Amino acid sequence: MALPQTLRASVTPPELELVASQQLIEIIPMISMEKTAFISGAYGPLRPPNKAKIPLWMAVNLKMKKKCHIVAPDWLTADYLQERLNLETTDLSFSSLPFRFAEIAKVILDVASDDVENPDKIRSLLKDLREARQAKSREGLRTLDHSELTLSNLSSMEINEIRPYFIQSMSIMTQLVRNPAPDPLGHP
Amino acid sequence: MYRGRGSTSNERDQLAGPSNQAPSWPDDDEDIFNDVPMAPAIPDNRELNLFEEETTETPLEKLTRHWLNERFAPDILPAQEALLTNLLDHLRRQSEAVQLLRGDPSSSEEEHIRIMLVQTEVERVKFVVRSYVRTRLFKIERYARFITTNAEIQTRLTAAERDHASRHAKLTDQHFYLSVLQGLPEKQSHLDDTPLFVPPMVTEPDKSRPVFVHALKRCPRIRLPDGSTLEMEKGHMSLMPYSIVEQLLLRGEVELI
Repeated sequence: MALPQTLRASVTPPELELVASQQLIEIIPMISMEKTAFISGAYGPLRPPNKAKIPLWMAVNLKMKKKCHIVAPDWLTADYLQERLNLETTDLSFSSLPFRFAEIAKVILDVASDDVENPDKIRSLLKDLREARQAKSREGLRTLDHSELTLSNLSSMEINEIRPYFIQSMSIMTQLVRNPAPDPLGHP
Repeated sequence: MYRGRGSTSNERDQLAGPSNQAPSWPDDDEDIFNDVPMAPAIPDNRELNLFEEETTETPLEKLTRHWLNERFAPDILPAQEALLTNLLDHLRRQSEAVQLLRGDPSSSEEEHIRIMLVQTEVERVKFVVRSYVRTRLFKIERYARFITTNAEIQTRLTAAERDHASRHAKLTDQHFYLSVLQGLPEKQSHLDDTPLFVPPMVTEPDKSRPVFVHALKRCPRIRLPDGSTLEMEKGHMSLMPYSIVEQLLLRGEVELI
């Protein structure tokens, strides 16, 4: 009954998606629904065509039944992502994006690509962003020591991706510092 | 109360619904979900987070945070018994409401969608609850022998978890003894002896393992292994050894990501 072997080292992308799906998103409902108490809070009432804010998982559910349109967040547009990509490729630091942008973008593009303008362009921009940022985080491994590494603007999916080898590397460095090799020249 | 072991079946019993009991429900099904005491309303600016003050966390958000912390921390974190009981109760109430509405043949399409959404959420929350309990169970079994000898770690477990740890430790001890140790010379037939140059055989949590940390508020200054200090602002993210942030994590000033 304990946690399966495969889940012990880290969380999986679907689990991160589950966490991210709790975030609120705007929808244009196509059905009406009274205000309803859920475990995570009360949502509604839905009154077409007024916009409403509900958790992403709920929006996905309704969308798959063709009962709503999802309003893409401000940052999920070709223009905004293009601007981020420009920053990403000119600046050395990571540009700021929502912490769970990768999960949210994936979910929305999977089920509601028809609600997003220019989904193919957005997909390719997200891919370019990912590659640019991935190159930077690999570069970051160079600055790793046994003590601390500040990671500004890294997203949850990116952290999950670098987790295994960053943790392993840092653990090894900690061991090296803890048991310093005897000085071959006998200096103190 | 929840149990480390068998919590899933325990939870399933609770979730089995009202089929074997006859609760007195209000006549108007319309408002049935509204009768369920609601979690505190969520402010709409949750993502924006305009205030420096922390926004109120719903029980589910709390559990999600504790679940992820538990997944990433090398050590066993304090049990969240009250929170879990509260959520299991809420799960049961929502499931009962669903069962009741489902039995009503006259419900409209709108009502069906509502039921489906509530049911979906129940499954989502159950996933988090199970994964949380199973993560603890995995660590408890792994460190069972250490738990039985360490009083401090026992304070972080529930009574059922402590019980499970000692039974697990006893069983594995017996197994090792009967299968191997009894055939060895007396000097080598114990699990907890500490011969020179041999790593200990009792598995302990490795607190020097690095974790990814996210500061939930401005944190007091901490001293890093290389001797320097760091004052984390709210939102700061870092990779550092678990032992450095242990206290901040226990006080809820940081979360693991």
